[in-house]
Amino acid sequence: MPSDIVTRFKEKYEILAGHVHLCATVEEAAVRAAEICSESGAEHVVVGEFADGLAEPIVSGLDSAGLDVAGPDFKASEVPAAIDRADVGVSGPAFVIAESGTLVEFATNDVFRLVSTLPRVHVGVFREQDLIDTLKESGPRVKAYFDANSENATVTFISGPSRTADIEMKLTLGVHGPEVTHAVVIEA
Amino acid sequence: MANTRYDTLNAKIATAIEERPQRDQLYNAMKRARDSRRSALEALPGGAGFRKEVRQIKLRCQSKADDLVDQFVQNLEKRGANVLLAKDGAEAIGYVLKLAAEKGARTCAKSKSLTTEEIEINHPMEDAGLEVIETDLGELIIQKVHEKPFHLVFPAVHKTAVQVAEIFRRETGEDVPNDVNEIMKVVRRYLRPIFMNADIGMTGANVGIADTGAIVIETNEGNARLVSSIPDVHICVMGREKIVETCDDAVMMLLAHPISAVGQHTTTYVTFQAGRSPLGYGEGREPRETHIVILDNGRTEMAKDPLFSDALNCIRCGACMNICPTYGVVGGHTFGHIYPGPIGIPWTSEVHGLELAGDFAPLCISCGLCKEICPAEIDIPMMIAGVKERDAETHPHPRVNRFLMDAERGAKMGSMTAPFSNWAMRNGAFRYVMEKVVGIDRRRDLPVFRRKTLEKRLKRRGPSPVKDPKRKVAFFADIFANYNSPELGMAAVEHLERLGCEVVYPEQVASGYPFIGYGDLAGARKTARKNVLLLKPWVEKGYHIVTTEPTAAYCLSKSYPKLLDDDPDAVAVAKQTTEFFEFVDGLEEDVDTTLAGRRFGFHIPCHQRPLGEGGGAMAFLRRRGAEVEVIETGTCCGMAGTFGLKAGQLGYELANAVGEPLFDGFRESGVEAIVTESSVCGIHLGEGTGIQVWHPLMLIAAAKG
Repeated sequence: MPSDIVTRFKEKYEILAGHVHLCATVEEAAVRAAEICSESGAEHVVVGEFADGLAEPIVSGLDSAGLDVAGPDFKASEVPAAIDRADVGVSGPAFVIAESGTLVEFATNDVFRLVSTLPRVHVGVFREQDLIDTLKESGPRVKAYFDANSENATVTFISGPSRTADIEMKLTLGVHGPEVTHAVVIEA
Repeated sequence: MANTRYDTLNAKIATAIEERPQRDQLYNAMKRARDSRRSALEALPGGAGFRKEVRQIKLRCQSKADDLVDQFVQNLEKRGANVLLAKDGAEAIGYVLKLAAEKGARTCAKSKSLTTEEIEINHPMEDAGLEVIETDLGELIIQKVHEKPFHLVFPAVHKTAVQVAEIFRRETGEDVPNDVNEIMKVVRRYLRPIFMNADIGMTGANVGIADTGAIVIETNEGNARLVSSIPDVHICVMGREKIVETCDDAVMMLLAHPISAVGQHTTTYVTFQAGRSPLGYGEGREPRETHIVILDNGRTEMAKDPLFSDALNCIRCGACMNICPTYGVVGGHTFGHIYPGPIGIPWTSEVHGLELAGDFAPLCISCGLCKEICPAEIDIPMMIAGVKERDAETHPHPRVNRFLMDAERGAKMGSMTAPFSNWAMRNGAFRYVMEKVVGIDRRRDLPVFRRKTLEKRLKRRGPSPVKDPKRKVAFFADIFANYNSPELGMAAVEHLERLGCEVVYPEQVASGYPFIGYGDLAGARKTARKNVLLLKPWVEKGYHIVTTEPTAAYCLSKSYPKLLDDDPDAVAVAKQTTEFFEFVDGLEEDVDTTLAGRRFGFHIPCHQRPLGEGGGAMAFLRRRGAEVEVIETGTCCGMAGTFGLKAGQLGYELANAVGEPLFDGFRESGVEAIVTESSVCGIHLGEGTGIQVWHPLMLIAAAKG
């Protein structure tokens, strides 16, 4: 049984049209992330930053599934085109808000923002311990990040796929940013 | 009554009322936004309580706005941002044009920014040879047809899929089907290269955080992320009132915006951007810049104005538009200049001029609902009254408004000359003349006047028969229960006496709410002072002021303290004022079941929304065995006091257009009758539905025979 906080996150994220995958271990999460890419028909995958200890297993999981994986150390001259070409972006939020179904991304290089913006599909991988309950609790974490980065820094709250309802109030996903978003939660 | 200004507005209203399916589309969109907000608040811990927090934050930050601007600028500069404090639109535009020229920029991709709309930056940029593309889909649609936003949050809500498809057929040369999903695919293909190749990305900011030096941008589409991350030059144009102190303050705004606008918990993408990040590593790395233009454009002056400074608390959520009854019929092109809707009236007045604001200010019918939904608890109706009052210095109040502001004089006369006055009211020729001369619609079924007013009846009766009272009540009748239906007044008094209350009829004048509604704050203050002076002695002797008219309860308890700058006597009177059924609610014990087996539809008058929402009256009916169901659309019935009595578009026609969906709701509900406490809502609902309308006390009296 998933814990309360994971359940709350899952319910909210699914209301926002996101997909949630619960995994027991990092290894399982790596396999699941690669499966999501394959199921999306992806050839090119770009990766961004992850929480400590997740980058290596996730990226090798994607590699061993035979996907063409690029990033995150793109040369300035190849971006944004190299990210726009990708079918899926995979990255890890710094923390996640259960109440609002929000993945919070920290970035000091815009490459990381584009990994979760340009490809049609985005996969966010994170550990259960990085879940917090409410939006209101996020303020101090955001503040701490900006204090730790005295120059440029960006924090982004991402709650599901890109949406618009600007024509006849009919909800449509993925007109500007990702159409499909996945959250892979490591419960260990 | 020659007034070309009203002729223009009337013509626009007439067109908007006729325009289908746009009008239905607008109504449905607004209703959906209201309903979603309501259900989201039910799920939110603390519900609408967040409004108090938002107001506190805004008031604190506005009170030290100058310091926060300084702190914000210092922190932005520490993070490498370029900052301009622009005193007006011209200065902001000049800066942007110079920057664009220096960079040799050809294209600018924008995400939605009302502040850039306020200063109309697109035209001069285009004149300078720049291609400017709005990337918010709604903004893009109206940009392509050279229109202004119809709504703050849904700029193109008035366009149908067929119209939008046509716009993109013209734009792309592709064969775009009239289907929303197909149009969206075309839009994605159209926009992506614009994002990838823009030289300048321009955004607004929903919030600026002073102690962090970060701007915060919210979009559901993610377009602000793209225009702030890809182009080498990023420009943000923001109003100085958006600056808050801390990250915690900002998070509160992030909650308040989308939940108020559309009932969303958070906007899909929220970007907190501090300084400008590089894109990629090593070789080929271009210098990247961010420029933050902090706009004043009249805001500092606004802050000094005791009435209009409240408008600076606006967080631009659009909720006031969603709930505004007349906006919901005519939309933002009639109800707005650049800033639309209720809050658009004071904002237009302050940044675009009183004259432009006065052009659409009469559309506010002072139902007060915008104040109740506003996440910053802004007293929008009072500011609008202020705009109307200032505007009246150059454009005098129309005769009918002057007549209605002085309604008590008319009521006194009608009462003195009854029954002749009542015969005249039923005489077609007299009503025709009255419509032409005074401006009261001849189709309205006006209440009769009674020679023996409640005041006279109580005087003749002598002192209250109740000895050793449980409570002491000073009854406030307002106009209807005194001049038109003294029976209602007597029923209320006798009911209170049966419950062991001593009732007196203090000297009083009508509450005077129409002075606020039509924009004569001096008149409103005079009336408020008079009533406070007359009622204060009773309050001091421990009397409760009880009234059967919801608007009177609202006026005494909410409007008077505001009008009189929280004068202690006004506050004391306000605290002791209670609407009749809320008062009775705690006193009634054993009652008969006169209404068992009967089913009624209940109408909540707007001014009762902050006064218990009719809970007391419904409990009163239910205790007597009735089945009571609230029938509502979430906005006003359209009557708005005396507004719907007036002839013409700004009256009868608009009142009925607003009322239609509610009339349908009552008719479809299958209830045997409508119950409401408001005398005027009752007239409107009765005429609109053809269903019998009762005041709860009159219903009981009739049921008992």
